[in-house]
Amino acid sequence: MGAPRGLGVRSGTTPIPNRSPIRHDVEVTFLVEADAVIKRYGSFSALSGATFTIEPGITGLLGANGAGKTTLLGMMLGLHSIDGGSLKVLGIDPYTAGAEVRVRLGYAPEHHTLPPDLRASDFVRHVAELHGLPKTEATTRASDALWLVGLGEERFRPMGTMSTGQRQRVKLAQAIAHDPNLVLLDEPTDGLDPMQRDDMLALIRRVATEYQINFVLSSHLLDEVQQICDAAVIIGDGQVLAAGSLEQLRGDGSDIFIELEDEALVSKVSAGMQAAGATVASDGRTLVVSGEDDSILDIARDVCASHDAGIVRLNRRRLSLEDVFLETTAA
Amino acid sequence: MTTTQPTGPPADAGEQARIYEQGYRAYTGDRTGVPGAMRTVITTSIRSVLGLGRSGRHKIMPVVVIALAYVPAVVFIGLAALLPSDIEESFLPSYAEYYGFTSTALLLFSAFVAPELLCSDRRTGMLGVYLSSPLTRQTYLAAKTLAISIILTIVTIGPPLLLLIALSLEDAGPDGWGAGLTLAYRIIVSGIVLSAVYAAVSMAVSATTERKGIATATTLGLLVTSTVVTNLLIEETGVSPWLHLADLPTLPLELAFRIHGERGEWGTTEVSTPLLWLAFVVIVGGSAAWIWNSYRRMLVQK
Repeated sequence: MGAPRGLGVRSGTTPIPNRSPIRHDVEVTFLVEADAVIKRYGSFSALSGATFTIEPGITGLLGANGAGKTTLLGMMLGLHSIDGGSLKVLGIDPYTAGAEVRVRLGYAPEHHTLPPDLRASDFVRHVAELHGLPKTEATTRASDALWLVGLGEERFRPMGTMSTGQRQRVKLAQAIAHDPNLVLLDEPTDGLDPMQRDDMLALIRRVATEYQINFVLSSHLLDEVQQICDAAVIIGDGQVLAAGSLEQLRGDGSDIFIELEDEALVSKVSAGMQAAGATVASDGRTLVVSGEDDSILDIARDVCASHDAGIVRLNRRRLSLEDVFLETTAA
Repeated sequence: MTTTQPTGPPADAGEQARIYEQGYRAYTGDRTGVPGAMRTVITTSIRSVLGLGRSGRHKIMPVVVIALAYVPAVVFIGLAALLPSDIEESFLPSYAEYYGFTSTALLLFSAFVAPELLCSDRRTGMLGVYLSSPLTRQTYLAAKTLAISIILTIVTIGPPLLLLIALSLEDAGPDGWGAGLTLAYRIIVSGIVLSAVYAAVSMAVSATTERKGIATATTLGLLVTSTVVTNLLIEETGVSPWLHLADLPTLPLELAFRIHGERGEWGTTEVSTPLLWLAFVVIVGGSAAWIWNSYRRMLVQK
């Protein structure tokens, strides 16, 4: 894997004009706006009333296999019609104005079966040309994109000779080569070992940060969404179970978690806290207490002391994305 | 002992310095839109089928087929140059008859080209990549149809046009510019008709399966079987000569005779020219409807 190509200074050839790296900003508040989107395949309901928005940054589209992630990506690309509601990508209906939307989108499919005898540079250049870049520009940018993803030295290799990790990088390169506003990645770490996966996620994060490219990546792996995404849309059974920034989804830590020594005292402690105005949920020896302010800590201490209930653990409760996922899917 | 002073960069080095390789950056230029996307699909498809920019084994098939189509023309041009005009006229085929020499090449090429361009895109997931660009299913199919038709015209229009130009240069061509242009027009129309029928049939078969080998074998089988079966039925059982209209490879060859104003193998009283054109429209239109129906319902994203 070659290193990313940096700035170089040569003499004796025609200089490339130094253009500003400032991006053409998307003049919409939301990259994607879905309002009660319905999609059916015969009697099967793939999406039933999905409502969410996606803002600039990296957004994870999270859900179990078969939850409807790929269908949703297809609808964002305008490949599938919708049976109800409305969907806008970059402020445009992708189904009725597909070409206009797709010229500003990059897409990396889930499958790895790219044309085996095609060289990576030819493939990326071809996709860049498909998105409207003139041939010379497409050739230059294909090379630049392949250097950026770490395949500079390998760019003339046929894709059939590449590893899964390299092919995932080629797919990322072809998705960004034409400088899209939004890139849709379908399971970008599929088939990668843990180290390759971390490298790929770091690369996506770097591209998003350094070049202000917005990403929507579908995944069924919670930790990878938690690792690099700014926001998430959780899908299950064709519905949006939760959506928002990771901070919003994981909560602000205002709830407290208490584990008692004696399970028999849980109901008494719970009743005492509710009497003091807190909202309590209990499970076994544990309680989750919600209150208006920091006074719930004092309430918890006093109620436990009054019932002589020994505390094993007491801490602020901050959910992991897995907790959020399990809670929303269970609900 | 002499000492040399270290030399620093010239005073104006900063002004002369230029950044040549900037790496990945934003693109602010114009975009070519759907026409540009179609153009790149057409050129890439043609290059791919002809094996340009690919390894040697991908060049074998196109080279063999193009040789099959052009060698007879080259031989006739050579003989016309060497032999006296009264002898050459007796063995030179008419332009319509020349298609008989290229029909094998056309059969092989059509059975190879459409599967190569359509089946491969579905099998390798390229169709999903194409449809996530500004192309739609319609514009994708239009670009592929144009590419396949252009490739087939290398075999259908190229050789007789070469023959016309070479014989005209040898003073063995048509009399005068008017006759020459009329003949060129007939060659082009005949070539388009031949390309259209073979492209339509092979594309319809290729729209049905992802496997290139199956599509190639089915195309060859369908074309050859339609000739064998219709001829057997007409000759052995004496059914209506209208059954000739189901002879897929011969129908456009017969139309080429009519376009050149010649009598073909099928009598004009048995199968009239308007009926031939109607059969042509039905075959091409029916194939187009079949192809569109296949692609319209196709799930392509994965």
